[in-house]
Amino acid sequence: MTWDITGMAAVANIGASPQEIFAALCAGQESRKPLKAFDPDKYRAAYAYEIDDRPKGGDIPRRATRWLTTVVRQAAADAGLGEDLSQVPVLVGTTMREQRSLELWWRDDAEVALEDLHFGTALKAVFGASTTYTFANACSATLYALGMATDMIDLGMADTVVVAGTDAATESGFGTLDRVQNDIPDALRPFDATHKGMLMGEGAAAVVVQRAGTGNGPVHARVRGVSMNCDAHHATAPDPDGITRAVRDAYSRAGVRAEDIDLVMLHGSGTPRNDLTESSVLRHIFQGAGAGPRMTAIKAMTGHTLGGSGLLSLVMAVLAMKEGTVPPVLGLADPISEAAGLGLVQGSPAAGDLAIAQIDAFGFGGINAVAIVEAAR
Amino acid sequence: MSATSTTHTRNPSAREVVVTGIGLALPGVATYGDLLGPLPGKGGFDPATGLSGRELRHKDRASRLALRAAEFALHDAGLTDADATFTGAADSTAVVVSTNLGNADSVCEATDTIARAGVMGLSPLGLPQTSSNVIAGWVAIRYRLRGPNLTVCNGVTSGLDALSWARNLIVAGRAEAAVVVGAEPANGVVTKVLGEQSTDAAVAVVLEPVDAAASRGARPRATITGYARARNLAAALASAGVTEEQSVGLWLVDEAGAGAGHLLAATRRIDLESQLGPLSGALGVLQCAAAAAHLESGATGNVLATAGGPRHDATGALLLTPWPAIRPSTQERGQHP
Repeated sequence: MTWDITGMAAVANIGASPQEIFAALCAGQESRKPLKAFDPDKYRAAYAYEIDDRPKGGDIPRRATRWLTTVVRQAAADAGLGEDLSQVPVLVGTTMREQRSLELWWRDDAEVALEDLHFGTALKAVFGASTTYTFANACSATLYALGMATDMIDLGMADTVVVAGTDAATESGFGTLDRVQNDIPDALRPFDATHKGMLMGEGAAAVVVQRAGTGNGPVHARVRGVSMNCDAHHATAPDPDGITRAVRDAYSRAGVRAEDIDLVMLHGSGTPRNDLTESSVLRHIFQGAGAGPRMTAIKAMTGHTLGGSGLLSLVMAVLAMKEGTVPPVLGLADPISEAAGLGLVQGSPAAGDLAIAQIDAFGFGGINAVAIVEAAR
Repeated sequence: MSATSTTHTRNPSAREVVVTGIGLALPGVATYGDLLGPLPGKGGFDPATGLSGRELRHKDRASRLALRAAEFALHDAGLTDADATFTGAADSTAVVVSTNLGNADSVCEATDTIARAGVMGLSPLGLPQTSSNVIAGWVAIRYRLRGPNLTVCNGVTSGLDALSWARNLIVAGRAEAAVVVGAEPANGVVTKVLGEQSTDAAVAVVLEPVDAAASRGARPRATITGYARARNLAAALASAGVTEEQSVGLWLVDEAGAGAGHLLAATRRIDLESQLGPLSGALGVLQCAAAAAHLESGATGNVLATAGGPRHDATGALLLTPWPAIRPSTQERGQHP
């Protein structure tokens, strides 16, 4: 069974639509900016990948919610659904929910209610949606949500599901990350020998998933299968066994083999632990699978957009398959030895005939999700 | 073809999913049977003594509460051995956590520390609880549960939603069993958010397909039969399959039940929050435990649990019925004291 992706939307530091973001990834210009979100004197990290839409004079609550309603509206319009989502489930994946608003309420007495912490409140107000869920599944949240959306369709609970993700940087998250990184990164450089760690980005993404053949408009791509599991190993560090199981389960669900994969959108968070683990697992998976797929890691330009990052990678994979172009990994000049032999795209975009893409997303708590998506032709 | 769809939350052909274990870490409630009587009662969980121990060290309060509730539920389900090691199918057991304010204290306290001392004032041990899924991660790690791991932060309906998603994971074949935990800690940040004092609360239930439960000799306590999250109570009841003929013997209400006297008027009602204070993400899972108590007591009728209402973004409804082998018509009173 496959599921149709009939609507897509995204916003990030480098663009306000999937096409803008994809073009920026292909152009490959440095995108990190000096930290503006918080008082830079309090942090060692000096850069981030923020969406620069705060008013002068300070932060405001509910930015993550605003991006979410924007991308849901755009994805729904793209699929021809209109603005009434009263009969459509909306599954939102996020790491931080509206915890940035909670922080602003706690520190600065911003007007924030308990009901603002989850996104159903805004989805009800804007779209009349009631069958809404906020899943706080760290950085694999949106691919988890995508998998559960395909389950809903499979189980006969819905024909159309909106899957979305959003995150704004929080002081508590940005600060604690800063605290635990020994060597503070000045850029996110996945799989490069100079990688030092992760820097946060901000963004949101949404897709409309429909039972095969039931949509009104063109099909952008087809979901072949989504796996989800947990390492049950470490609270924050990745585990090769759990990630390997997630990749193999995704292949099994999708009915594909390693040699069928043309493109891998890497999790690529730029932490030495992730990059080493992910590249070692993939080297093993693609051993003996011919030339192997092209691989790229968009966090080099978007920063780590947390809960929405998996879905943003998926939307970029769909455009890559449509265009036959894989954007390069910005700043990748000297790949780590564990990545030797992987088809990481360096320098400039790579052209290719791409039919099947694998998207990786791994999160705190050792939770992994891998999606397999097929070009619609 | 229509571009939109109606959500159908009952699937009669699906595998039936039953509750096979219940654990509480809740002051004033000693066993789940007590949930049907006046609360808070005597005894129950004592956080002062119950939240210590080596395996709980360096963890946030919500995670510690949740670990205790999960421990009790897995023991109750017969899924741990004498060393408290999980004996079930760890690769295909899911963890589903419901919480709204579990890490709110960690988040707010970190901002205070940064303002006072910069990032170097923070403890590196606080990294896991910056992410709202910290509780589910610790529960999985403790019992090596490698199935899907889900954290539902969905407002007042969260606990009911979490139960339904756990059932979905089982029915979809992604998990053979699920540990569902509702957890909310009591602390200054939570009191300020809620506008009133709350209690430490964690409750866990184990869900399994009825055939799997039967084959290992587990004792089912209730069946998760219907669920919906809808625009209002009437829509939620209709979508969850709750009708007059369903013979609801107990309605676990929150404010959603207050203004709905015309619906299911003759039913006994219990409002757990009016007795225990705000339960937030723990409410729905605690309602499930109370439902099991009702169904096990031999009292007649099914159990309806609802949460949410006009002041919230939706109303959630969960219908719980006796386990398939023993329907109310054949069940003798007092059979399960």
